[in-house]
Amino acid sequence: MTTTLAIRGVTKQFGHGATSVEAVRGVGLSVESGEVLLIMGPSGSGKSTLLSIMGALLRPTAGTVTLNGVAISQLPERDLPPVRLREFGFVFQDFNLLAALSALENVALVAELAGTARAEALRRAGELLTELGLAERVAFLPDQLSGGEKQRVAIARALINDPSVILADEPTANLDSSNGHEIMRTLRAVAKERGRSVVIVSHDQRIRDIADRVVWLEDGQLRDLMTMAVDPVCGMSVEHDRAVTLEQGGELRFFCSRGCRAEFLGELDGPAETRPARTGPLASLFQAVRPKTP
Amino acid sequence: MLAWRNLSRDPIRLLLSVAGVAVSIVLILLLVGYRSGIYAQASAYLDHAPGSALVAERGVADFFGTTSTLEPRVVEQVASLPGVAAAVPIVTQFVVFEEHGRKDGMFLVGYDPAKGGGPWRLAAGREPATDEEIVLDGVAAGQHGIGLGDRIRILDRDLAVVGLSEDTTFWSGSMAFARIGALETLLRAPGLRSFLLVTPTPGASLPSLTTAVSSLGADLVPKSTLIANDRRLLARVYDAPIGLMVAIAFVIGILVVGLVIYTSTVERRREYGALKAIGAGNRALYRVVATQALIAALLGAGSGAVLAVVGERALMAWRPQFRVEIDAATLVVVLASSLLMAAIASLVPARALAGLEPAEVLRS
Repeated sequence: MTTTLAIRGVTKQFGHGATSVEAVRGVGLSVESGEVLLIMGPSGSGKSTLLSIMGALLRPTAGTVTLNGVAISQLPERDLPPVRLREFGFVFQDFNLLAALSALENVALVAELAGTARAEALRRAGELLTELGLAERVAFLPDQLSGGEKQRVAIARALINDPSVILADEPTANLDSSNGHEIMRTLRAVAKERGRSVVIVSHDQRIRDIADRVVWLEDGQLRDLMTMAVDPVCGMSVEHDRAVTLEQGGELRFFCSRGCRAEFLGELDGPAETRPARTGPLASLFQAVRPKTP
Repeated sequence: MLAWRNLSRDPIRLLLSVAGVAVSIVLILLLVGYRSGIYAQASAYLDHAPGSALVAERGVADFFGTTSTLEPRVVEQVASLPGVAAAVPIVTQFVVFEEHGRKDGMFLVGYDPAKGGGPWRLAAGREPATDEEIVLDGVAAGQHGIGLGDRIRILDRDLAVVGLSEDTTFWSGSMAFARIGALETLLRAPGLRSFLLVTPTPGASLPSLTTAVSSLGADLVPKSTLIANDRRLLARVYDAPIGLMVAIAFVIGILVVGLVIYTSTVERRREYGALKAIGAGNRALYRVVATQALIAALLGAGSGAVLAVVGERALMAWRPQFRVEIDAATLVVVLASSLLMAAIASLVPARALAGLEPAEVLRS
């Protein structure tokens, strides 16, 4: 595996003076080809800002972004659209398909923007949509598609120019559980079968199991996931030193709030056996997660 | 494709924008056509009269705006000047004509039917054979309820209407034609001649002829100069208000297209933002917006042109004294204006797109 995308010491500051906000602070990360990287964190932690910087949508205030060995953060503004068009595929939370175009045209348009002839663009779009199980829906407008179908069209659109990196912003946020898993499996297949790097920003705990690596972003900084635990009641990731704890039978449990701990204790008399199932796999996931990238 | 789909997705809005532009184009075409019609009417007499130049009283440089009186010796001597093939005398006088309680301007032309200078097309009847007869403009006669054989009073004399002419209405009334003798009597000015319609001999030098006429104490003015000066006179009256109305109609067209395209752009802000994030350059997005504006403007211009031609015919059938001339050149100019309309109308939406941050699309 080779490093596709790397960011080093990236900081993003919005505004100036007393009102300035540092959304991302000295973050370093790298993504390998064929790897699925999941960036998690609470709302306002800087996830989307970081994804924007990785995708050349935003220029970092400090630090560098390197794509296949090229420092794209140093490129002039006019050179960035072609980089985004050919090297990145974007999957958005709200799908952002063009309402006036059919599924096929939505996908083909991006190839046409990259200079592909219309007939060829349509042919490739058709193939991709068929691969993604949408052969019967190519002529449908976005309004006529379900959420899961829209997101699959968006994935096809992201793939049409054969980019190095797929960047997905909360791709399951507007989907039900079943569609969400389907989309995540598709994104994982994109990484594994096509050798693309997939970076997903999400706070959806359900999708951790498809990621090769999970990093936690909070207050604009990456946190060491080894110091994190999952609240067994609500599923939220909580830091050890900020969590409400409960020692029980020699085991220390971490909760995001007293309410969750109370609920957990209340259920000990009832269907307590169902709870460990929620913590078990996640705990093992944490064991698999690499330490914080320096 | 995207531009057309964006527009056609909301047919009512598209229809409204096309209708808005069409109304603006109809207004522009009718106003410009009306102006052309006024100019055409103003030069109709000189366009059809014999000769290529007129001898006029010294200092007279237009046909309709000033009274010209030639000295008898000028009238006699011009005809015998070398280089003059023919010199047809006419008498002109603007009078106010009243019949059946309705007043109208009338430009009387006294002429010799044997030499020319009278009506060039008769809708009915004949040219005047005596000094008691007159040819009226057919439209004016119709408005006053006058027919062939009727007698009308002009100044203090009764004249019999023996002919009805066509194409002789003009901006401030209509033309009427009588024999020179009739006008001499009406104006109590025996021997009065206003102009000579001069036909130079082939190869005659116009500058020499001008000098020769000048030495007689009169001016030889080419028809084209008189027509241009008459138009200049009209321009002082009509061009400013017509120009203002055309400008207003043009701005309305721009506003209609601009508003529709701007609204459509703002509504699709997120879609355009996504396209920008994906890698579409500003130029590609401008093209979409400009094409949308162009489609709306061209559809509007096309429908407007058709409506204007229909309107032109309807207006001239309803009020024949108003001549509206929409020619191919005007249509081309208006079509070009609609392109300009589209270009200006897409400026603000393009600016909105230019200010769109691609990263915005990630902010829910």
